[in-house]
Amino acid sequence: MNRILFHMEFRRNARSLILWSVIICALIFFTMSLFRSVLEYQQQIMGMVKLVPMAAMKARGFGNINDIFSGLGFYAANNIVYMMLLGSIYSMVLTSNILLKEEYNKTAEFLMSRPISRGEIFATKSALAFLNVVFLNIIACLVSFISLEVFKSGDFRIQPFMVLTLYTFLLNLLFGALGLLVAGLIRRARPVTFFCVGLVLVLYFLFTISRLSGVKGYFGYVSPFKWVNVEVLNPSYSAEFWRIFLFLALTFLLVLLSGFLYRKKDILT
Amino acid sequence: MLNWSSRADCNLQSLIWFQRVFKVFLESLNTGSEIMTVSENIIEIKHLSKYYGHARGVEDVSLSVKQGEFFGFIGPNGAGKSTTIRILLNLIFPTSGSAKIFGLDIVKDSKQIRSRLAYVPSDANLYDTMRVHEFLRFGAAFYGGNKSEDRIRELAGLMELDLDRRIPELSTGNKKKVNIIQALVHHADLLVLDEPTTGLDPLIQSRLFNLLAEENKRGVTIFFSSHVLSEVQALCRRVAIVKDGRIIKSDEITALRDKQLKKVRVLFSDESPRQELNIKGIESFQAESAKSIVFMFSGDINELIQRLSVLRIENLSIEEPPLEEIFLHYYR
Repeated sequence: MNRILFHMEFRRNARSLILWSVIICALIFFTMSLFRSVLEYQQQIMGMVKLVPMAAMKARGFGNINDIFSGLGFYAANNIVYMMLLGSIYSMVLTSNILLKEEYNKTAEFLMSRPISRGEIFATKSALAFLNVVFLNIIACLVSFISLEVFKSGDFRIQPFMVLTLYTFLLNLLFGALGLLVAGLIRRARPVTFFCVGLVLVLYFLFTISRLSGVKGYFGYVSPFKWVNVEVLNPSYSAEFWRIFLFLALTFLLVLLSGFLYRKKDILT
Repeated sequence: MLNWSSRADCNLQSLIWFQRVFKVFLESLNTGSEIMTVSENIIEIKHLSKYYGHARGVEDVSLSVKQGEFFGFIGPNGAGKSTTIRILLNLIFPTSGSAKIFGLDIVKDSKQIRSRLAYVPSDANLYDTMRVHEFLRFGAAFYGGNKSEDRIRELAGLMELDLDRRIPELSTGNKKKVNIIQALVHHADLLVLDEPTTGLDPLIQSRLFNLLAEENKRGVTIFFSSHVLSEVQALCRRVAIVKDGRIIKSDEITALRDKQLKKVRVLFSDESPRQELNIKGIESFQAESAKSIVFMFSGDINELIQRLSVLRIENLSIEEPPLEEIFLHYYR
């Protein structure tokens, strides 16, 4: 890892990290602040929700109507959209562009003519992106916890909250690794933001469809969103080894493969 | 006394032997300098080719540049100059062939090579979020450039560059100056310049040439790529001409001009007799008028004189062609 490049990339990406963190945290806090009102107008909302197709409810992250009236259930549904979806978009766009922008901004010739190996560039930029994703997850976790504490109606179990946070973080990391792979594979020097956003949305859409399909929705496992267990209100909800292993193993393999591709690739002009 | 003297002699012999062993040991530790003593070539390219799919980048390029040389690399746009340079810097990988810089492999040892090399790219952007001095400090920091501040100021003064300006505000010429300064800040052993004068005004160009000449006097090897022949002619001792991805000629500039090609102009008293001049080495033949011909000649000058001596000639001139004409000759 190269300290000079790390310092430069840190400053270069700080503004975007702060912006994303502020937006996501504000959304989490604002949405959680509505929870008291949801409880207050429970009857009216129940009536309204019955008119809304279940598909729309599931697309919004609610697996069950009653999820809306539990603090943790309400939070989990919001977490799917804010941290699982938006966090993954942030991770993937960040990691792919952190490598590719040297090429589409035509600064690669300058950077790569310094005494620094491609392996060091890859490791430094990946490490910085990883730290940004960690920071976003920590800050979102803190804001989520505070907003749950502030707006809760009764006690909530901390263990499901922490497990969901862990799964979300691993999902964000996996999409980050996928972004690195895109940067390693791409053969034209141009931003891949739209491609990354599109890919995350398609996978999210698959996950939503599979939730609607019930038992038949096994095809949803194609999407990493499906690997996160979002049923936080289930009494037996806990961290499952296979899910954690799957996320970590795949992330590790993708990073390894991306590093290999990046080191062997011509700079794009 | 004799005994003491022979013992001292023996000790001296041992000391000399020990000194030699120690020197060899030190040289073996410093692999770079050991390689330099073995080979004088700073750059050595052997049968280098690069294809982008089916498209040609460069084909079978072989050349060598010696230590302390000011080497010109000329060819029009798209001939393969930048591709060759990018391969040398390991920015792109060769399809086949090999190359060494400082005796080190350009792919395996690229980081080590780049620590002793400075590069001015032909068309490279700078980091838009920085100011000029930030960018230059950032670039120098990779070489442990804590002591580079004075050098940056000296070079910026010489190139008339405002260090406090933001990068996006700079013109093409000023961006080029930044690129030149970042290459000259750390004292590299090899300077690779790809079209370094593009966008520079004549005054700054001449200052750059002086700077390069000074660096070359200091022992720095310079690899100068350009399509502007006059600057190559003024600066370089040896030159390679690239055409369609291949090196078509590599020689001393003086040799290119003096030994090989002559520009011959003949004004005949009567009509020009073409058939009599049918000798080996006549190229780019042109009839300027019914009586006057001009051509490039690379054959035996004695044979030419002999042939012309039997003809009635009003005027004859045999001169060194300017580099532009040599260049065009190779491109025809």
